[in-house]
Amino acid sequence: MSRVPPAAVALLLSVALFFLAGLVQPNFVNAAQAINIVRLAAFLGIIAAGQTLVIISGGEGIDLSVGAVVTLGAILTFMISGGSSERLWLALLVVLAVGAAIGLVNGLGIVFVRIPPLVMTLGMAGVVQGTILAVTRGNIPGGVPRALANLVTGRFLGVPGAIYLWALLGLLMWFVLQRTRYGRELFAVGVNRRTAALSGVNVSGVVVLTYTLSGLLAALGGLLLLGFTQRVFLTLGETYLFPSIAAVVVGGTVLAGGRGSYFGTMAGALVLTMTESLLRSMRIGEAYQMIVFGAILVVLLSVYGRQRERE
Amino acid sequence: MPDRDPPASTPEPLLSARGIAKRYGAVRALEEASLSVRAGEVVALLGANGSGKSTLGKIITGITRPDAGTLTFDGAPLHLSEPAQARRRGITAVYQELSLVPDLSVAENVWLGHEPVRRGGIDRRTMKGRTAELLASFAGVFSVPVEPDTLVDSLPPSERQLVEVVKALAWRPRLLVLDEATASLDARQVDRLFELVRGWREGGMAVVFVSHRMNEIFRVADRAVVLRNGVTVGERRIGEVDEQELVQLMTGGGAVAAIALEGHDAPGAAAAPPGATEAPVVLELRRFASGVVAPLDLTLRQGELVGVGGLQGQGQSRLLLALFGAVPHQGEVRLEGAPVAFRNPRQALRAGVAYVPGDRNREGLLPVRPILENLQLPNWRRYGTPLRMERARRDAAAVVADLDVRLASLDEPVANLSGGNAQKVVIGKWLSRRPKLLLLDDPTKGVDVNAKAELYRLLARLQAQGTTILFHSSDDAELLGLCQRVLVMQDGRVTATLEGDTLDQRHLVAAAMGAQGAGAA
Repeated sequence: MSRVPPAAVALLLSVALFFLAGLVQPNFVNAAQAINIVRLAAFLGIIAAGQTLVIISGGEGIDLSVGAVVTLGAILTFMISGGSSERLWLALLVVLAVGAAIGLVNGLGIVFVRIPPLVMTLGMAGVVQGTILAVTRGNIPGGVPRALANLVTGRFLGVPGAIYLWALLGLLMWFVLQRTRYGRELFAVGVNRRTAALSGVNVSGVVVLTYTLSGLLAALGGLLLLGFTQRVFLTLGETYLFPSIAAVVVGGTVLAGGRGSYFGTMAGALVLTMTESLLRSMRIGEAYQMIVFGAILVVLLSVYGRQRERE
Repeated sequence: MPDRDPPASTPEPLLSARGIAKRYGAVRALEEASLSVRAGEVVALLGANGSGKSTLGKIITGITRPDAGTLTFDGAPLHLSEPAQARRRGITAVYQELSLVPDLSVAENVWLGHEPVRRGGIDRRTMKGRTAELLASFAGVFSVPVEPDTLVDSLPPSERQLVEVVKALAWRPRLLVLDEATASLDARQVDRLFELVRGWREGGMAVVFVSHRMNEIFRVADRAVVLRNGVTVGERRIGEVDEQELVQLMTGGGAVAAIALEGHDAPGAAAAPPGATEAPVVLELRRFASGVVAPLDLTLRQGELVGVGGLQGQGQSRLLLALFGAVPHQGEVRLEGAPVAFRNPRQALRAGVAYVPGDRNREGLLPVRPILENLQLPNWRRYGTPLRMERARRDAAAVVADLDVRLASLDEPVANLSGGNAQKVVIGKWLSRRPKLLLLDDPTKGVDVNAKAELYRLLARLQAQGTTILFHSSDDAELLGLCQRVLVMQDGRVTATLEGDTLDQRHLVAAAMGAQGAGAA
């Protein structure tokens, strides 16, 4: 096959960028730096997992509440555990349940009240963000459980835990998308809801479940992110919102739905994180970073678009 | 240029189309069609389903370009590449499918694309005034008030259809094509439209009138032009012809069926198991209704292949969708004696009902996804978690082999397949479920002759295995060749049930056109 899958294009690009960085900054290319970049990408990748499912589900699917839910997940973990490793399990359960509940409401609003996903999830982001602010009034008591910090930053064979967790999630996502009925029906729903419904797929159920999973995964991302940042603040998750969408798209998942993979999103997260690290190490200002990001997005998408036309 | 047009006893036709041919892929829509209309004349364009009358209408109005043939208008050759060009030359059309923008007012719709302009801006006052004048011609027959400022979105279908007429008139046409434009009008509105048509005729306008209602043709037309299989087969003056003769012309005396089915070993009545009337009842409907589909009773026995015919868009598709649970219905349904009420296709599926949609690409396929996924979409439940992909692949391969689908690999997108092979995939996804009742909505539209023959053989086989089949087709020959019984629908009603002696082309066309004396229901 002459066609290269977008996921591979993105992966190759991130590797190429890494060595390109070596030409500009010779001290950039080493194992420690590579591991550091992959670790940074891991958090973006985990947060973008739910976004991948939502975008595959089509119907203008997008989840703009992931940023707020990430923040909420981190804050809940911080407050519920109060720094105690024993209470981490309780925090995990509550965080997953709350994340899933938020996603469920998104899904129900989109499917049954027919609110466009963009509006529904944007509204939800506001509600979650506002509730956090109203309840905490900016004063958040709690702590980071040592077990969580160890899990995320502790190293095994020189590789931080976050990377193992990400790899595990990658396998899990592959399994869900390729080896479960839900995964197969999700792609069908993404391509054509009418065909799916007339073939006996419970389209509403699939869409609601997808937004629920997105909420759950974003909240989990928030919990893990806390282990890395070791502190909470009200804009913690916000900075991940647009990168989470960009990572999915750079990874070749089609915004119109029905085509894509989580491996693509993982590669996309690497490309974005890699680029950011490179630009930062070159001391390029934020304005130019944004220009470069935008340009990468446009160039990659036009390459994918051309490939599809040839199909 | 009146000096170049000396008055004559038989004036030159305003529009003349000669030897028009048009193919869509492998499908031949028009082969040798001709039509001429004089100023001040109303010509009815007649033909059975698939005869090419819509295509001819689209060619005259510049929507479609012909592959061959010549068009002349007002004595000069006519080359149209888009409808706007036709309108500027004075040719406009009113279609059954509406072209209005719901969010704009009546006046804005009527003048869309040719708004009166004054001092560089749209002259709203003139626009409204002239719209009001045009609307006045339908005064008294509107069922709701229609003003130039009324939002089109707030109008019922019949009023929208009248606005379509007004919109066409705003172009001051010299030739007006009315294509099934009366379908959604009530009797009073039709009467008024015909009065107006007679008035326009007096004023020298030429009108091409496409309708599937015999009585309307006799009321308004001067002349009838009949198309059959893309060929103009005859012209008659309305005063010198009766319904029977027109039906005869449209059907070619039943020869069409023989031609279309030539070389196919269609199952036909011969395949019916002896004593079929003794077979157990599979489906029983009592006062079953849905949307446009008026209450109907129906009993289908095991292994029966029953056709649903009539002109296109008479509620046949809606009937099948309602049976499959995809749209709500009223009335009683019994499947193998047990009362059922499917609220969605999933429930129908589990009960053993399968449905093959008419619009393959929009309702039957996932074009970008692999053939494997298309075939297994309804069936993943069977393969557990994790999905046993080896088995799923083996089962899909078996269906592909069984149906002789030509493909390179189960992993290629289904969009790469030809129409006939893609259609097999749409049917194939149900095969392994062995449905009790198979609903097919015009499955041979746009597939080639060989693929059709293969489908017929498949239906015969399923029938022999005891599957009950309800089969809507817009191809009359197909219905006659395949079915033991055909329901004919018009305006959502089953107007005739043809079987035995009445199951022939003449009865089918007559019933579809609502002609008098067709087989009684």
